[in-house]
Formats: sequence, structure tokens, C-alpha cells
Amino acid sequence: MLKYLILLMIAVLLPLNSFAVTPEEAMKNAQAAFLYQGKDFKARVVMRLIGKSGSERAREITMLRKNYGESGGDQKYFMYFYQPADVKNMAFMVYKYPGRDDDRWLFVPALNMVRRIAAQDRRSSFVGSDFTYEDISGRDIADDTHTIVKEEKLGEADCLVVKSTPKAGDTDYMHKLSWIDKKTFLPLKEEYYDKRGALYKVFTADEVKEIKGFPTVVKRTMKNLQSGHSTETTFTAIDYNIGIEDSLFTERYLKQPPRKWIE
Amino acid sequence: MKKHYLVEFSVRHPKLVVVIVALVTLGFLTQFPKIKTDTNPKNMLPPTSDVRVWNDEVDGTFGLYEDMIAVGIVSDEGVLNERTLGKVLRITDEVLRIEGVSARDVNGLSTITNVTAEAGALKVAPLMSEVPKTRAGMDDLRKDLFENPLFRGRVISDDGKTTAIYIPLEKGANGKTVADSIKEVVKREGGPERYYVAGDPVARDTFGSEMFKLMAVFAPIAGAIMLIARYLMFKDLFLSVTLMMDAMISIVWSMGLLIALGFPVHIMSSMAPVFLMAIATDSIHIFNEFYFRYREKRDKKAAIIETMHAVGRPVRYTALATAVGFGVLLFMDIVPVKVFGAVVAFGTVALRVLSFSFIPAMFTFVNEKNIEKIAAGEETSTGRTSGFLRGLAAIGAHSPRATALIGIVLFGISVFGISRIVVNNNMVEWFKQDSDIRTADSVLNTALGGTSLGYVVALSDEDEYIKTPEAMRRIEGLQRHLEKLPVVGKTSSVVDYVKRINRVLHDDDPKYDTVPSSKEEIGQYLFLFSMSAKPSDLDNVVDYPFRKANIWVQLKTWDVEAMRSVIRAVDEYKASNPGALAFKPAGIAYFNLVWNDEVLWDMLKGFAVALVVIFVILAFAFSSAKWAAVGYVPLLFTILLIYGAVGYMGKDFDMPIAVLSCLSLGMAVDFSIHFISRLRQRLSEGDQGGTPSSESLTDALLWTAARPGKGIMRNAVLFASAFSVMLFAPLTPYITVGAFIVSMMIFSAILTMICLPALIVLFRRRLFRG
Repeated sequence: MLKYLILLMIAVLLPLNSFAVTPEEAMKNAQAAFLYQGKDFKARVVMRLIGKSGSERAREITMLRKNYGESGGDQKYFMYFYQPADVKNMAFMVYKYPGRDDDRWLFVPALNMVRRIAAQDRRSSFVGSDFTYEDISGRDIADDTHTIVKEEKLGEADCLVVKSTPKAGDTDYMHKLSWIDKKTFLPLKEEYYDKRGALYKVFTADEVKEIKGFPTVVKRTMKNLQSGHSTETTFTAIDYNIGIEDSLFTERYLKQPPRKWIE
Repeated sequence: MKKHYLVEFSVRHPKLVVVIVALVTLGFLTQFPKIKTDTNPKNMLPPTSDVRVWNDEVDGTFGLYEDMIAVGIVSDEGVLNERTLGKVLRITDEVLRIEGVSARDVNGLSTITNVTAEAGALKVAPLMSEVPKTRAGMDDLRKDLFENPLFRGRVISDDGKTTAIYIPLEKGANGKTVADSIKEVVKREGGPERYYVAGDPVARDTFGSEMFKLMAVFAPIAGAIMLIARYLMFKDLFLSVTLMMDAMISIVWSMGLLIALGFPVHIMSSMAPVFLMAIATDSIHIFNEFYFRYREKRDKKAAIIETMHAVGRPVRYTALATAVGFGVLLFMDIVPVKVFGAVVAFGTVALRVLSFSFIPAMFTFVNEKNIEKIAAGEETSTGRTSGFLRGLAAIGAHSPRATALIGIVLFGISVFGISRIVVNNNMVEWFKQDSDIRTADSVLNTALGGTSLGYVVALSDEDEYIKTPEAMRRIEGLQRHLEKLPVVGKTSSVVDYVKRINRVLHDDDPKYDTVPSSKEEIGQYLFLFSMSAKPSDLDNVVDYPFRKANIWVQLKTWDVEAMRSVIRAVDEYKASNPGALAFKPAGIAYFNLVWNDEVLWDMLKGFAVALVVIFVILAFAFSSAKWAAVGYVPLLFTILLIYGAVGYMGKDFDMPIAVLSCLSLGMAVDFSIHFISRLRQRLSEGDQGGTPSSESLTDALLWTAARPGKGIMRNAVLFASAFSVMLFAPLTPYITVGAFIVSMMIFSAILTMICLPALIVLFRRRLFRG
């Protein structure tokens, strides 16, 4: 009898527990689900940069990522460019450390030279798109104060809406609202408000697929409402836990990436 | 005879007429709350005009803004010190919060993208995200600023004492409102730094709103002065007010109609009331004659009807001439010009209808005793004014040849002056020399590359072509060519970025401050730049498929001639350096050029057509081409003299002058119509038939100068005194209007009095034959 009672109590308390998640925990979960899934990760990324008048520019890369340590810890990124045509063979490498500036290297084929790139501003545009470096590789959770604003349904998904306000004033936005799917923890929508308090940038996760058991956002859009510019990103050939070796993330491979990762 | 029927009806049923007029006026007044205003001179060209469509296309392609405000910050000790930089940082931050400012593309020391090599690493980041705290940090900033051609002349002056923040405006934002908010922000920061807010949107929108305000101030003042002057002339308050009402009613009718038809009140039509007030002074001839007639008849009603008989014909024709002079504008291309012409033409017709109904009706209410008292003063043989006028006419009548000779000499001098007139428009110069806007503009234009912005768009018909070294070199060559022009302060383009990156990637070696030799290299540099710069940095200078490039040309003056010289230089360059790229001008400076040409030439065209049409009307009025030719002389002469003077003073033929040209026609011709009509009437009253003898003609001329001439002189003085107020206005176009009208009135009145007698005596036989 007691056993059943306990089970009943657990059954009653469980949903309550999931409600009782702190905003920081919600953001941590989202970070883990969105940016740290698996030990490593690979995808072919196509970005369509769409101007106000409808003109387009394309970016096509293979992106390789490897985690070092826990979710929220160090990561290494390797990106190889196919498009635009004149940057084919260009390769870009990022060592990401929480709490301090990234290290970035770029291989410039025309000069046959690897250059270090100083990256102070994580809010700057990633390859000319509406995504910032931070949008691609994440923002330290401790940099913001988070509050849960409300819970609401976004389409089919039950979401927590978290408001994140940067502690320092060095961002281009005043605060951000994130809709976090309670089931997958993926952020399905983000709204950025500018310093006048007006909504100016919207992120949407347009399509989520399960790959090797990991729910993955395979199509996403960032739209700048003020400039009318938007970027649509599609991930294909996604794979997790493929055993990317540490040696990939070196200058040598930046110049000559191994065939097996770059087809 | 229809008009005379109207007069008789009005005299018989004065109360009814006044009630009807009042009701109609009330009806138009009810439309006033619906008023819409449009203070933007830009809208003189519709959004569908070629230049606006093209400029919008360029703005869309390169993510540009129509309007930009520049804020200059000047520190005598140099801006590179902690205090001043702190202020720059805070001001920029505050500006980003102002409604209407396109925050993401504000460029100043703290936001502009800087490409440097730092410890072997390439760095693309905002130049100064925080104020350097150390000597070394300050030195680095100094080095970054002065070594980068993208910054010098843009965000830092060569002497280091001036920096600027460039603030693009969202579409539809009001330049004056934003500028006012910016001024609040800089005021809070205070001295010893000095702050200057400049740019076309500030001038344009300030002018638009000031113009409306001034119209609201000056129209009533001019009206009040006219009222006082009339009272002094006629010593009867009731009649003076009646004359005033005549003008007011026609203003209410025509503006009411404009509003009722749903047209916005544009800066052009906002001037209509003042014009109508001017045109209304013509009814003074009725008053003038009425007093003379009353003295002769001592019967009010009979005097009214006789007066209208005597002046009816000239008043009708002057009205027709004025209405047609403005009506011609209806056939022009620019919509606000058309609307303006229609409003004034309608108002003129309304005025005349009132002259034949409302005014006679009001006469019947005047106390006869008052009229008698005043009429006693109206004695042509003894009055001082009349004596003076007879004297003027005598000069012409007694020495016609000498008068004609002087006239011909003056004519030659004026024509030479006119040949020196430049058609130009510079909105910043519409403000006085010591005004904030002019000062700000000249400070920034002296220290930096210039506040006026034009673009030259390089077009190819092949994707990716802009990335080729030959395209780069051709653009670079054009930039160097344009920079030779004294009006061009600075040019920038995608080439500047490419060269900068080339140098930075080669360990900041100045040898590499050149265009790379392969397309791949250029493409990769640009991509590298786009990896970390603000998206707008590259968008502003190249389009997506790299078919088009945009060269920014900063001009040191808002004179439209500056952009014209740029276009000429581009053509020269194209001719001497043929290649696959085409070049096309764009931007606000280009817009101003087109605006200037289209609007001003349109008005000039209207002016020319009106000149012809008015001659035809004169011919009808006098039923004689010969008399028309004579009557035309004072008008033509007045215009020649004024424009001759404009030419000698080196004043540009700009928008205010263009508007005035139309007014001058309508007004100056009035005097000859009155003079000649009344002269011929007088001669026919004498009933000699055929050619009058010299003596009787001279007598008639002197009588005309003394009696209707008094009306002409009164008209001129009234007018001139009312508009002389404008000489004290804070905006130069108003001073121009004031000076123009005052001199026009005085010239044309005096010319009518002297020239007409001289010409009529000279051509006596021809004029009176047949």
C-alpha cells in the first residue's frame, strides 16, 4: 500500500517538479540540447542570406564540432567553405571557451596562409548573415539574468518563455525572450528587443528532426525586422558521435582538410 | 453687362449679398479642420518620378538611407582625450535610443568598423568600444585613426580637433525632430566641446516647419499693416476693414476648396494666402474712384454704380491677367506647382466676384458724413500726392525721347545682369549666415569630408565582376579623379576595404595598400571582411551578386552645381578610361540636382508661357495689339530690372525667386491696365474722335497720373509696406520675397507713371490711328 502511495505521490509531484525548474536551469538545458548534443557533430550547412529586395547570397559550409567536457564547457569548431565560389577551400576554426574570448583561425587560399583572427565582438555577424557568432556557438548563461515570464503553447509544443537580460550593456539588444520546448528543451523561438524596447530580431526553429535520438533543429531562420534582411539556414547530412579526432583542429588540417570529413 | 447687373443687384439688396457671402464663407470654413500639411519640399516630385524610383532602387540594393544627419564634436585641445571621447561614447549611445534613428548603422568613433592587425591576428571590430584608459591605448587609437584612409576626413579631421557621428534616419523620420532630440543630448554633455548638428534633412525639415510658422506669423502682420495703411489713406475704419475682409474671404474660399478637395497644404500652397492678400489690393482702385465720384455726385448709390462703370473694365482685365498668369501653372508638370496655380487663380476670380458684389454692398452701409469728409481731401489739383504723380508723368510726357533713351540703356544693363543668373538651389543657404544650421554645415564641411552626400553607382552586366582587379582599379581611378574636384571632400568604396585588408593581412606593410592582382584574392578578402564586420559595411558599397558597386561621394556644399560637376567629371573619366563599367549618379545630392532642374525649370517655363498669354489678354483688354505692346513695356521692364539686379548681386535663381516670378507678372501688369484703360476712357469722354492733339493728350495723361494714378500709387505703397515686414524674417527666402515685392511694386508703379506717358506721346500717331 505504502509503495502505491509513494508512486502516487511521485506521479503527482513529477509534473510539479518539472514546473519548478529555475530559469537558469531551463537555459542550461536549452544550451545542452541546442549546442552541446552528442560528443561531436557534423552537418552540411546552407545559408541563404536574403536582402530586403529579395536578392540572395549563399553560404555553404561543412561544420564539424567537438565537445570538451560538460555542456557549457569548451568546444572546437571546424568549418570548411564551398560557397561563395571564390572562397572555396577557405577553412575556419574556432576554439570556444566559456568566460573568455574565442580563438579563431582562418585559412586564406589565395595567400596560402593561415591567419589568426581576433574575435572580440561575439555579437558581430557570422559570415555576413543575420546570425551572430554567439547565435552559432552560444552565449554564456552567466552573462545574463534570467526570469521565467510565462508558459505558453507555441504551435503544438508546450514552452517556457524565459526573459534574458544581459548584465553588461555591451550587446546590441536590451533583452531577449526565448520559447523553450519543455519536451526537447530546444529553443523554438527567440525575440530580441532593441534599446528602445522594440522587437527587432526574431529567431525561429522551423523544423526539428530526431537524429540518432537527438532532437535537432534542421531548419532555422533569423529575421531582422528593422533592416528587412533575413537568413535561412538548413542543416543536412547531420550526424552525431562520429569520432572526430583532436588532430583535425590544427593549422595543418586547416590548410588541407581530411577528405573523410569534407566531401 | 452682366457684371453691372451684379453691382446694381448688390446695391439694391446689400444685406442679402452680405448674408450670402457670409454663408458661403462659413461653408468653406467648415473644411478647415480637415487640413493636412506636407512640409517636405522633396514631395514636389512625386514618389513615382524617375529620380525617386531610381534612388529608392539604389537605397534598396545597397541598404542605404535616404537621409543622414552628421553631428560634429569639436574640441580645441583635440578630441583624443579621455573627457571628450567619453562624451562621444555617451552621445553615440544616447543617439541610438532616439526614435527615427537607424541605430544599427550609426557610424562614429565607437561604432565604426576597424580592420587592424594586432599581434599577428587580424581584427575586425568597432574602433573604440570603450575609452582608452592608458597613454598607450590612446596612442593606438590615434594610430588607427590617422593611418586608416577610411577614417580620415570622415570620423576624424586632419588636425584631430573634430570628430563626427553619422546618423542615418529611418524612412519617414522627421529630420528636425531627430535633430532636436540630438541637440538635447549634446546639451546635457556640455562644454568646453562644441557641437554641430548638420545635414540636408535638418535643413529641409526645419525649413518646412519654419515656413509654415512664418506664414502664420507674417500673413497676419502683413494684413495688419495693410489695414493700418488703408486707414491712413481713407480715414474710415469700416471701409478699411471691408477691403481687408475682401482678401480674407477669398483666402478662406480658396484654401477651403483646396482642403475640401483633399489636397495637402504643401509649402507652395501655404504661400497662397499672402499672394491673395497682395492681389486683393487691386480693389483699392474701386475705393479710390469712389471717393472722386462721390465728391462729384454727392449720391452714394449713383456714385457706386458709376465707379463700377469706370473701373469695371480694368478691374476685370487685371483680374483676368492675374488669374491666367497663375492658371498657366496648371499646365506644368509638377503637381504642387499646379495646385498652387489653381488655388491662386481661383482666389483671384473669387476676389473679383466679391469686388462686384460684396464691396458695392458694403459701400451702402458707410456713413455718408464720413465719406463726405474724406472725399473733400481727394482733390486732384491740390493734393500733394497727386501733384507728385503729375510731375512723374510730366517727365515722360515732356521728354519722351530722353526717357526712352535712358530706358534702352537700362535695358541693356539689365539684360547683361540677367545673363549672369545661375539657376541653383541650396537649402542650407535658405538659412541666415549666422544660423545654427549654416554654422554647423560650414564647420563640418571645413574640417571633414563634407555633409552633402552623393553616390556614383558602378554597373556591370556580369555577376561577380566587381571583384575583378580591373573593375577595382577602374573604380579606384574614378575616386582619385573625383577627389580632384574642389567640391569633393572624400570618396569611399569597396576598393578602400579591399586595400585596407590587403595591407593588414601583409603585416600592415604600406606596400600592400593596393588592389590585389587576382579576383580570388579580392573575393577572399571581402569574404574575410564580411565574416566579422557589420553586414551594412559591405552592403553599402556592393550589391549581392557583385554586379554593382556604390561609390560614396562626400561634397563640401549643398549647391546643386557641386553634384553637376561630379557628373561631368564622371563623364570625362568614362571618355578617357573606357571599360566595362557604367556609372550612374544617385543619392540625395543627385536628387536635389534633379529637383532643382525639374521644379525650377518647370516654373520658368510657366513664367514664359504666362508672359505670352498676358500679352494676348492685354491685346483683348485694349482691343489693340499696339496698345498691348505699350502696356507691356512697364511689366517687362520691371522684370528685367529686378532680374538684372539679381544677376549682379550674384544671387541664385532659386525656388523662392521662381515663385515670385509668377506673382510679379500678375501684379506688374495691373498698373498698365488701369493706366491705359482710364486714359482712353478719359480721352473718349472728351470725345474728340481720331488722334488727339499733343496738348489734349498731355492733359489727359497728367489727369490719369493724378487720379487713377493715385490708386496705382496707393496700391503700390500699401503692398510694399506690408511686405517690407518680411525683410526682418529669419529665413533668407522671406527676405528675398520681401525685397522682391517691395522693389517690384515701386519699380512697376514708377515705370508705369514715367514710361507709359513717354511711349504714348512718342507713338501718338500710330496708337490713335484707326
